[in-house]
Amino acid sequence: MKAFVIAEAAEAQKDLCAGARTLADEVVLVSIGDAPQTGVADKAYHIALPEGELYENATDTVIALFDEVAPEIVLVETTPRLKIVGGRLAAHADTSVINDVAAFDGDAAESLYFGGLATMKRRPAGSVRIYSTNGSMFSEAEASGTDAVEEREFVPASNPLKLRGKREVVQEGADIGRAPIVVGAGRGFAKEEDLDLARSLAAAVRGEIACSRPIAENEKWLPKSLYIGVSGRVISPKVYFAVGISGQMQHMVGVTGADTIIAINKDANAPVFKQADYGLVADLQEVLPVLTEKLA
Amino acid sequence: MNIAVAVKVVPDDQDITVAPDRSLDSSKAHQIASEYDLNAIEAAAQLAEAEGARLVAISASNAKAGDMKVRKSILSRGPEELLMIADDAYAFADSRTTAKALAKLVGDVEGGVDLVVCGDGSADMYAGQVNVQLASVLGVPCINSVTAMRMENGALVVERTLDDVVEEIEVALPAVVGVSPDIALPRIAGMREILAAGKKPATVNDAAAAGVDTNGTVEIDSVVAPELADRKREIFDTKNDGDLDAFIDAVAGVIR
Repeated sequence: MKAFVIAEAAEAQKDLCAGARTLADEVVLVSIGDAPQTGVADKAYHIALPEGELYENATDTVIALFDEVAPEIVLVETTPRLKIVGGRLAAHADTSVINDVAAFDGDAAESLYFGGLATMKRRPAGSVRIYSTNGSMFSEAEASGTDAVEEREFVPASNPLKLRGKREVVQEGADIGRAPIVVGAGRGFAKEEDLDLARSLAAAVRGEIACSRPIAENEKWLPKSLYIGVSGRVISPKVYFAVGISGQMQHMVGVTGADTIIAINKDANAPVFKQADYGLVADLQEVLPVLTEKLA
Repeated sequence: MNIAVAVKVVPDDQDITVAPDRSLDSSKAHQIASEYDLNAIEAAAQLAEAEGARLVAISASNAKAGDMKVRKSILSRGPEELLMIADDAYAFADSRTTAKALAKLVGDVEGGVDLVVCGDGSADMYAGQVNVQLASVLGVPCINSVTAMRMENGALVVERTLDDVVEEIEVALPAVVGVSPDIALPRIAGMREILAAGKKPATVNDAAAAGVDTNGTVEIDSVVAPELADRKREIFDTKNDGDLDAFIDAVAGVIR
């Protein structure tokens, strides 16, 4: 059995190849643009992009390679670019990408339904199986392989997208994915200035600030990269403070992996208390300064 | 110019209940247009208004999706017509099967479609794959994560926003684009728009009547609610003397 891995980030190339090794005998890595990681696959293909060429325009080249290698399994990193490459490849193979796989149970792949309201187990009906994943389930798996890299010439797409220009984006906010302590602010914060109370608490406990969706998407008080929950970030910190957060499932699925959840809400009936280890029924304006002082 | 906007109708997740055996019950749930698809409708409506184009909504969703309230909700936001396949085969359909149904509806639009606008992902599956599959079935280009779009000399020019880069991309029409929620905030339809929506044409068929194949490419084994981590649930209340100190002690214990 052969597996085809298509990933952008170096770490994802390694993780997906290590995971592919657990599913197949032969692992073939494809990298578009940047040179592929070595030592993680039995063979790596590099499709160098001509200057000014859009990543997605390499899809036809990838499909030609797929036909040549004829893998039974394809693992694709979950990124917007690879949603296009992987989706096109799936259409070519007359199947669908089983997206955002978080675990495998035999042939069945687990993904979230309604962002975590349920877990779906799905399996491809056809002979080619295509899954997308961020690779975190494979982070413990060992990658192994050769240093063999074969260059593949970029074949211009038949109906290309034209890249007119691009500009880099400066990442806003901290990487909450790696912070051991995270303070999440929700709708209970009535004014933007009040977020300073959450910032002070985060600073006192040497944590990072994050938020629920409305604070980022509606109020735009914090960057989108800091919002936790369905279609936002999923984090597993040591301690998560849910402050002024009601505890809607859509938010809480983003922190189910937290070791300890601490909730502060003025509504004693807020669902967040059912999902917390320690809860405090209190007005956040009154209690956050006290907590900040005592925990500093 | 004709623009189609694809909308998935899903049960309102607020109304979905979890049974003791962890299965989901959405039988009492209201049907709503998937949240981010509302942003897609708005973006498509704004482009249609700017270009004097005709906007048609298309949908392949579950059997209850043809509900009058849902139809009005979609049509009050700008589209002039709704073409829908409402069939339970589409409640959990894979992206290819859904895309084939949508392609059929695109083919039904009088005068053809120059641009199909899709949301970034549906509330239930959030695969972000139907747009790509639809483009493949139609044999046209596709781009996603679009945060702005405009017409320029007969081509669509989009701003595409990724985590680390913003790209300006020219897309030859016909094409399919997936738009991010950031592209436009959904409008709040007024009474006048809602009344007018009731008079707009809507065609709702099941899969057999629409003549589409519902044989999927993915099988679903199970859909069950996750077992939630067992939490201590020690709740303190500042109304009670000593509770605040006890809470602070407990918190201090875990953050050290």
